[in-house]
Amino acid sequence: MSLHRYNLGLLLIILNIYSLGLIDALNATASDSAANPLQAPSDHSHGSSAVVSSPVYKPAVDSSYWINLLSSFPDDLEFSEYCTELLRLFGQRYVAFVNCLVPAARPVRVCQNCSPGYSSLSEVFLNISSDKLGPANESCRDSILRSDRLMLVFLLYGSLDTIWKKSNCKQCVTTDLTGPNNDTLYYLTLLNQTITCFEKYKEGNHTELCKNCKNAYKGLNDLYSGMEKNSTLCIDLEDSMNMTRKLWSKNFACSLPREETIPVIAVSSFMLFLPIIFYLSSFLHSEQKKRKLIHPKRAKSHTSLMNIQDKQS
Amino acid sequence: MANITKKVSWSSRGDESGAAGEETPLLNGSEQSRPLRQQDSARGRPKEIPHNEKLLSLKFESLDYDNIENQLFLEEERRMSFMAFRCLEISRWVICGLIGFLTGLIACFIDIMVEQLAGLKYRLIKENIVKFTEAGGLSISLLLWAALNSFCVMFGAIIVAFFEPIAAGSGIPQIKCFLNGVKIPRVVRLKTLVVKVVGVIFSVVGGLAVGKEGPMIHSGAVLAAGVSQGRSTSLKKDFKIFEYFRRDTEKRDFVSAGAAAGVSAAFGAPVGGVLFSLEEGASFWNQMLTWRIFFASMISTFTLNFFLSIYENKPGDLSNPGLINFGRFESEAMEYNLYEIPLFIAMGAIGGGLGAFFNFLNYWLTIFRIRYVHRPCLQVIEAMLVAAVNATVAFILIYFSTDCQPLGPDQSEEYPLQLFCADGEFNAMATTFFNTPEKSVRSLFHNPTGTYNSLTLGLFTVTYFFLACWTYGLAVSAGVFIPSLLIGAAWGRLCGILLASTTSTASMWADPGKYALIGAAAQLGGIVRMTLSLTVIMMEATGNVTYGLPIMLVLMTAKIVGDYFQEGLYDLHIKLGSVPFLHGEAPATSHWLTAREVMSSPVTCLNRIEKVGTIVDTLSNTSTNHNGFPVVVQVSGDDEPAKLCGLILRSQLIVLLKHKVFVELARSRLTQRKLQLKDFRDAYPRFPPIQSIHVSQDERECMMDLTEFMNPTPYTVPQDTSLPRVFKLFRALGLRHLVVVDDDNRVVGLVTRKDLARYHVGKHGLEELLLAQT
Repeated sequence: MSLHRYNLGLLLIILNIYSLGLIDALNATASDSAANPLQAPSDHSHGSSAVVSSPVYKPAVDSSYWINLLSSFPDDLEFSEYCTELLRLFGQRYVAFVNCLVPAARPVRVCQNCSPGYSSLSEVFLNISSDKLGPANESCRDSILRSDRLMLVFLLYGSLDTIWKKSNCKQCVTTDLTGPNNDTLYYLTLLNQTITCFEKYKEGNHTELCKNCKNAYKGLNDLYSGMEKNSTLCIDLEDSMNMTRKLWSKNFACSLPREETIPVIAVSSFMLFLPIIFYLSSFLHSEQKKRKLIHPKRAKSHTSLMNIQDKQS
Repeated sequence: MANITKKVSWSSRGDESGAAGEETPLLNGSEQSRPLRQQDSARGRPKEIPHNEKLLSLKFESLDYDNIENQLFLEEERRMSFMAFRCLEISRWVICGLIGFLTGLIACFIDIMVEQLAGLKYRLIKENIVKFTEAGGLSISLLLWAALNSFCVMFGAIIVAFFEPIAAGSGIPQIKCFLNGVKIPRVVRLKTLVVKVVGVIFSVVGGLAVGKEGPMIHSGAVLAAGVSQGRSTSLKKDFKIFEYFRRDTEKRDFVSAGAAAGVSAAFGAPVGGVLFSLEEGASFWNQMLTWRIFFASMISTFTLNFFLSIYENKPGDLSNPGLINFGRFESEAMEYNLYEIPLFIAMGAIGGGLGAFFNFLNYWLTIFRIRYVHRPCLQVIEAMLVAAVNATVAFILIYFSTDCQPLGPDQSEEYPLQLFCADGEFNAMATTFFNTPEKSVRSLFHNPTGTYNSLTLGLFTVTYFFLACWTYGLAVSAGVFIPSLLIGAAWGRLCGILLASTTSTASMWADPGKYALIGAAAQLGGIVRMTLSLTVIMMEATGNVTYGLPIMLVLMTAKIVGDYFQEGLYDLHIKLGSVPFLHGEAPATSHWLTAREVMSSPVTCLNRIEKVGTIVDTLSNTSTNHNGFPVVVQVSGDDEPAKLCGLILRSQLIVLLKHKVFVELARSRLTQRKLQLKDFRDAYPRFPPIQSIHVSQDERECMMDLTEFMNPTPYTVPQDTSLPRVFKLFRALGLRHLVVVDDDNRVVGLVTRKDLARYHVGKHGLEELLLAQT
């Protein structure tokens, strides 16, 4: 076990040296092991020789055995009650958030449905990662987040955080993440109007739909374009707009028709005709540029010529 | 003897229509004597022929790269201290730094202006199209686009055609000629620079199929020629610095630095710039010069970098080199494998073939233009028409394209046009046409797979090929690099897409961007036929050394295949410009020609102490616009031909006449200031014509002593020296005049650049170019 502790200590030292935040620390440990390919295996062989001889790697399914083994750490490495509680809470909220995300995948309702979930999850994570001390005067940051190579909690939170950031939901919800903000609400009402309109005229001739829903659709489209410019969009709105556009353009085929082909062709053939006229007229009317030949002074002697011919033959 | 009859046929060229009687008196066989006599009788009026590629123009002269080691020069050298020479060396470095800095600034200016103006134009047209797509009347948008293009190009063409025709085109052929030793009139003037820069902005904004990279090289060269002189003759401003550098030899070195700085600013390729200068002006070179040129290149690219970073609100970020930025080719999909090398080589062959076709079309078009479209107003109209047709063709293709692609999340398209696409999608054809060519190249390289479908790319390649071919040679200031890259990138990407579709394992040919790069290199190599420098430029512009091998192989193949059909575009235009350009080596199978056949004879010689009247008459003779005069001294007897003792140039004689350095005056006015080398430098490079110098009747009777001023040791060759030997001397030393002497050191002839440049290997073996007045 002392070996184990030594490894842990080493890790912590490395962490302290680099102490550039969690991600950097992760990189640092990775690069550390990569940079010392000779040393790293020896480390492992030390550690694993102790472990391999132990029955841990046997295909034992007895989970209690694991717990028993791990729970035999000395006290100072153990979690405090407070941290265990935090971890449990994190797990609960994590599960809740994922449970919310998965059904909201298609059609995308991530921001509308799951913002509170994210808010509560990040709250716990903030508690874990802050260096604020808990009731027993301890901080859970190091023990939960940075004690091992895997850094599971950090990874788990990181992946969800990436999802959240990618979704851009912050743009559409109120600052306390409780619900959609005013812009979004306005957009949603317009969207609903458009969809209702679509529903209403869906049956029968689509030209009717194109004509009657045009205003609603156009209003929505313009609003969306405006929001695009201000970059106040999130995935929910983008997706809903995409779907609406697809309905409008593909399903109902309300795209603009290509109907002025003849004038365009007429104008362009006129334009294409101009150069031909130009070149023909310049060929016919412009006088050709002539060059005056100059006769250079040369040594003219038949003897030299004969010489050349002699040389040639 | 069969050999000889063939010789006779080429020398007389009687077999070619309209060329009868064009024979030069060099090699007239006995059966040719009759037409010769006929011609002699008709010599009263000079013969006129239509312009063709087999002419040498009289208006081009050589540069005086050879140092004139006369007594004044030796005196000055004696007077100069060691410190002064050190200072000269330092000021060379300072000048190179300045050249780099200013070239970078100009590149930055062009870039920003083009971006702003083109942005304005495209936004205007886009708004208009959006408006009319819905309301109807798209033909008005078409007219608007064509009118805007024509207007911009009109402005660009007017300043070129009416104010400075030498600023037309990319300027690379002209700079090539300058570095080769040909003095192209007005090529390195300030006015040319201004016209070039403004012209290129307008032609790019005008939507022509042109790039702004070629003109950068010319601009850099003009700047170098100006900065190194420490004055501007056009602005009549003399800063009284760098006076030592006011001669052709020094100027040429700085011009090569300027050209390198231009390349470096254009492509973000400092090493490529140095190699470009090396490739084009390779005969005059030394290590220190290379190092200085590299310094200028580096400064230039990082000046551009720095100022662009300020423009983009990221001051200090120096990672934006070059006007054209190919972007980074570093993703894993961009890796290539050994089995792709044969494919790349095949693409190189395609590029060479297409390039030769491009040059062939452009050659005939240029001949037509020289013969029929030579009036400035016609040239302006032609340029405007090309601009309008550009817009029209682009519009038709965009209008009828059904290739719609979804808008990406990163908004890589600056001006996405929707037109008849579904909402949320854009017209893929519009990304290639509705943009500046540089941006189109970049999107062809880097847009993810599936951005373009193959029909779009095929149509684009074909139309752009003909548009670019039509555009090059117009009276606008514009380069051919970017259009070539664009054509190549389009068909290269097409190749990539087709490869991916033929094989089931699509992952093997993952990224069409890679093939776009190879295609671009192949097409560019096939058109301009540059080798070493182009490889390095492409490598540096992509920022990836691992692409060195495929790019080199591709350029090699393209050059081999292309040279089989047709010359490179720049060489073609040099030829069509009737420039006496000396290639690297004398034409093959020319050893049998000796200096006696090559030289001009008889030579107008001057005596060492010559009557002023004779000199003035010789210089004023318009029919013989000679520039160098062998100076001879009578040894014995009056009838004995005089012996050679030196060589004097027209420019020197003019300065002497202007300062009235006559023997008699010197005697009467003892206090007269002695003429110094400085007086010659002050007159450089625009020596006044002889007509502007007034010599009174009395003065005509005076005598002039040329001993002090002539070059006492001109290069001479015996009469039997072979042509390749003479050629080597000329090329290696940068000579302007080579005196041919007989055994007794008597002048029998004079070889100049035009005497050598007229020999070239044509279809029927060795051919001879004709001299003409243009």
